[in-house]
Amino acid sequence: MKRKERTEILIQGSSTIAKDFAKEIEMRYTVTVIQQPENGLVLLKARETAKKSLFYLGEILVTECKVQIYDSIGIGIVKGHQEELAYCLAVIDAAYQADLLETRVWSHILEKEKENIQKNRQELQQSILRTKVSFETMDVQ
Amino acid sequence: MGYVAVKGGTQAIEESIKRLKYERLQKGTVLDVHTIEDGMRGLIDQVMSESSLYDQSLAAIAIKQAEGNPEEAVFLLRAYRSTLPRKHVSRIISSEDMQVERRISASFKDIPGGQILGATTDYTHRLLDWELEKETEESIQDWLHAYHAENRLTEYDQKQMSELSNLPKVLDYLRSEGLLQSCENNDLNPEDVTRKSLEFPSKRSERLQILTRGQTGAVTSLAYAVIRGYGALHPTVGELRVGQLPVYLDHPLDIGQEEDSYYIGDFQATEVEMLMPVTVEKERGKKEMEFEIGYGLCFGQNETKAIAIGILDNCLENPNTDFPSQNEEFVLYHIDSVESTGFISHLKMPHYVTFQSKLDSIRKTKEKASVGAVGGGNE
Repeated sequence: MKRKERTEILIQGSSTIAKDFAKEIEMRYTVTVIQQPENGLVLLKARETAKKSLFYLGEILVTECKVQIYDSIGIGIVKGHQEELAYCLAVIDAAYQADLLETRVWSHILEKEKENIQKNRQELQQSILRTKVSFETMDVQ
Repeated sequence: MGYVAVKGGTQAIEESIKRLKYERLQKGTVLDVHTIEDGMRGLIDQVMSESSLYDQSLAAIAIKQAEGNPEEAVFLLRAYRSTLPRKHVSRIISSEDMQVERRISASFKDIPGGQILGATTDYTHRLLDWELEKETEESIQDWLHAYHAENRLTEYDQKQMSELSNLPKVLDYLRSEGLLQSCENNDLNPEDVTRKSLEFPSKRSERLQILTRGQTGAVTSLAYAVIRGYGALHPTVGELRVGQLPVYLDHPLDIGQEEDSYYIGDFQATEVEMLMPVTVEKERGKKEMEFEIGYGLCFGQNETKAIAIGILDNCLENPNTDFPSQNEEFVLYHIDSVESTGFISHLKMPHYVTFQSKLDSIRKTKEKASVGAVGGGNE
């Protein structure tokens, strides 16, 4: 599973998954913290739709962490102040970079969590779609 | 009269700060920051937007510290922001990827995907709800339980479900009809007004960045002036959408690989595309009506502000010296919360020397005038 999809599931899904994965790696490998979780900013680059040009919308607070397993460096970055999650994401990223055996089993768990996320999203959409306007044409005298 | 440098006031300032804390605490109520974060969505969104910093928890602390004063909260967040390292720039955020929570058009009744009201005060009666005085944890939980039960998915719902991400845009429909000029993506790197001072004529990226971090009241007032006649626009909301936008970052060593990017979370934003009818002169003096677009995008659910940004964006794309609202220097230099409130409020800081100097001048002028009057009388 590629990083984009993986990080979507780990951040949008239950936080226990990232914790469990990171714990599993910590128990079996030496994880060196290169950069402790720390706050920083990400500048948001957006495309406007009038002339389709780019501009900076503002900044978002993030927590970032970097770890190393063997020769592989993992980066964990997430919006807000979330030190533990940033660390776990970094460990998981390093595990994938190092192509550790454990990561092959994780795909199944992530796929299952993706289904949960999808279900929650559908329920949210359902409640929003209840506010969709159904127009009725009024009688014209 | 000579000038004497003075110092002092340290103890008075310390006591004043203590007094400020007393004002916040005197009733013995601890205002939980989570309560602010969970229950003051409108103020949080306004403060994040004007601060140009998206984080609800930080905004809640700033609001608590500022005792609910938005200008002070924005000042606090801007100051805090300046202490943080800027670690990354996001991949390009496109509003087409918005997970829509609300989406309406005032121009077209039947828009592809439909008019979705979402959460809005637009159709409320604006009568004070006295029941809120009696609201309890229990009553909230009961209401939430009933709401979730109402929205539980059935198999039928799942089959009927339409997708709220990737909703078609009204502008694309107009472009396909030839009613709007189509344009290609312009990938020129934007300017950043927080790193480089503004110079005139400004660039579009600078204008949009200043407008989106502008003070809500200032931006709204100037846009209102445009519609009332201090401008030459007749705008309509083509499309307004509120929803969640995902943020992705490239790997530092592997730039441009979308599938290998990092997802870091979503943020809520309001986007508005305003339609302005204009008369365009074509070949042989033939005149035709076309639409121009004014664009507004800002953090949170700040709909009035986003509409106002859209109006001012179009004003500044079409400079006109007849109206201050179409003068970029007038608009862009006066809408920033920290700059405007900072300058106005600095007037209450000690100005003893400058004021004494003015006082001296006035006294001397008066003395000369009275001497002149007496002298004139003697002549």
